[in-house]
Amino acid sequence: MSALAITGEDSLTGGQPAPGCPGRRRRRSTAGWLLFPSLTLVLAGLILPLALMARTSVAHFDAASPDLAGFTLDNYVRFFGEPFYLMILARTLVVALSCTAICLVLGVPAAFVISRVESRALKTVLILATIIPLLMGNAVRAAGWMVLLADKGLINSALLSAGLIAEPVRILYTGSAVVIGLIAVLLPFMVISLESVFENIGTAYEEAAQTMGAPPWTAFFRVTLPLAMPGIFSGCLLCFVLAMNAYATPVLIGGPSFQMMAPKVFEQAIKVYNWPFAATIALVLMAVTLALSVASSLALQKRYGVL
Amino acid sequence: MSSILIRDLVKRHGAQVTVDRVSLEIGQGEFVAFLGPSGCGKTTTLRMIAGLTEASAGSIHFGTREVTNLPPYLRDAGLVFQGYALFPHMSVAENVAFGLQMRKVDRAEVRRRVDEALSLVKLAHLAGRLPKELSGGQQQRVALARAIVYKPEVLLLDEPLSALDAKLRTEVRTELRRLQSALGLTTIFVTHDQDEALSVADRIVVMSAGRVEQVGTPREIYQRPATRFVAEFIGLTNLFPGGLEGPGRFRCESGECFSTGSTDVPPNASVLAIRPEHVSLLRDDPAPGGACALAATVEDVIYRGALTEFVVRTASGAKLAAHLQNTDLGRDELRPGDRVIASWPADAPMLF
Ligand SMILES: Nc1ncnc2c1ncn2[C@@H]1O[C@H](COP(=O)(O)OP(=O)(O)OP(=O)(O)O)[C@@H](O)[C@H]1O
Ligand SMILES: [Mg+2]
Repeated sequence: MSALAITGEDSLTGGQPAPGCPGRRRRRSTAGWLLFPSLTLVLAGLILPLALMARTSVAHFDAASPDLAGFTLDNYVRFFGEPFYLMILARTLVVALSCTAICLVLGVPAAFVISRVESRALKTVLILATIIPLLMGNAVRAAGWMVLLADKGLINSALLSAGLIAEPVRILYTGSAVVIGLIAVLLPFMVISLESVFENIGTAYEEAAQTMGAPPWTAFFRVTLPLAMPGIFSGCLLCFVLAMNAYATPVLIGGPSFQMMAPKVFEQAIKVYNWPFAATIALVLMAVTLALSVASSLALQKRYGVL
Repeated sequence: MSSILIRDLVKRHGAQVTVDRVSLEIGQGEFVAFLGPSGCGKTTTLRMIAGLTEASAGSIHFGTREVTNLPPYLRDAGLVFQGYALFPHMSVAENVAFGLQMRKVDRAEVRRRVDEALSLVKLAHLAGRLPKELSGGQQQRVALARAIVYKPEVLLLDEPLSALDAKLRTEVRTELRRLQSALGLTTIFVTHDQDEALSVADRIVVMSAGRVEQVGTPREIYQRPATRFVAEFIGLTNLFPGGLEGPGRFRCESGECFSTGSTDVPPNASVLAIRPEHVSLLRDDPAPGGACALAATVEDVIYRGALTEFVVRTASGAKLAAHLQNTDLGRDELRPGDRVIASWPADAPMLF
């Protein structure tokens, strides 16, 4: 928003700095004012709650009074000391990473094919089909999965009546069910973001590679894929972050037997009223997500230049 | 290096016919320019030859090999795109090496030939750079090196010089021509710049609205254009609409009557064309009453150094452009308003 405004002003003056400094200074301060609303929002909506949460996470827990009091690292000691919580963190990481990997493998070909469809109409239909799952709420979708995957759900009844299995297979409330449910939400994000990446790269490079003797597969892996790498990385990051913080799907499809981080935060805060520990779990979740994102982006930057 | 034989090539985009029954024979090592206005189907034809666009009908042969339905990577063509399409994530050397690697040339040989190709285009010192770190002219030369390094059967160039400034353009096209004949590459060069086509090509294919208007040497195209379109598109031409009036006489709509000269005259000719450089302007009539002369008034004079461009208006109101070489230092200067006699050699008029 603010960047646009600055460019607009520059082009009005033909990109020439006005003679003398005052004009320039005034323009810069205008731009500063334009930043103000968004900065305020960021400050009020992100930094303050975070600071508050950090404070909460090092407070004493007293079930009797909701006031923040004292300073202690007990909550962190508890989280990192108990295998139960570390298991939840590890489980969340495994789920998020598998979701990302599967979305990547499924999303790249789908996005590439959609981006290379010549007919405008068909392309629109395909993109719409991709995002239709996003048009219904998380809870509705999860309910659908429950109907499908439950012990007496559609899949089990079908398998039973076909005589393929003797008794229901447990699908719902397992890790696989959660991963499947999450992929259904995340894949559209992956496909849509990658589709625009491939679209932007265009066909010229592939065509150049092909005239030089590269079969389509080689052209894709030697030319298109490396060029799409920054975009693919952003897509993966999006998937990973969304999966790490997923709430509805793990609660509804994972149930009590497959616990993940975000539901745990909710449980501690709302059911147990242990706000300090809830804050601790939330901060750990955020820190791990952030650390992995930064680390991977640095690693990729080294390999593929500026992302 | 092989000849190219194109027979009745057609490309339809829906109901629109983009390329309409193009037939063409290009000899081994020949340098042919496709010339035509924007949107006439040059790129589409080239893409069909390269295999990037499927032909709706017709056939393409490289030598005796039919390639009509072959995918691009099996055709062995070198293509320089309108926008170069250098791989941005690969260095200059890697870009040039790509085609060789696809042909499974061994490593030492790849290096040797990349060096050779890069020194051919005088870029050996920039081998390690990324394309975005090069100037437009350098990128163009990398694209060229990349297309010729694997000695393709045919070299296809789609307005490769359009991004260069006038001076560099002349330089690079001379260089290109030298390389092309040194390597004996069968080359198609797409351009909409007539000077470029006239000065480098062995033969020119003039296209208009998807159709081939004329194929010929630059001299044939300029001096004996086959159609009115070619006459108008190549160089400047004075056009007089009208009709034939008896053998050897052409009556213009504006009223003048000209001799059609000695050229073969199509029986239903509707326009007479005269190149401005064939027109001479004199103050006195050299041969009064001649059929190739008419009285006019100078309207506009533009001094261009080597020549002077005049616009004169005839008594009936028709405009006529005349380009006179400034060879005669002492010539008395014509000024706007002067009365002159415009005349031309008897064989100068072209009829369509
Ligand atoms: N994919 C396509 N779908 C529909 N029409 C197309 C397509 N590609 C090209 N055309 C049409 O075909 C015609 C010829 O296009 P082409 O690119 O061959 O022109 P060109 O002679 O190369 O022009 P320029 O000198 O501007 O590059 C144009 O009218 C264009 O609109
Ligand atoms: Mg073109």
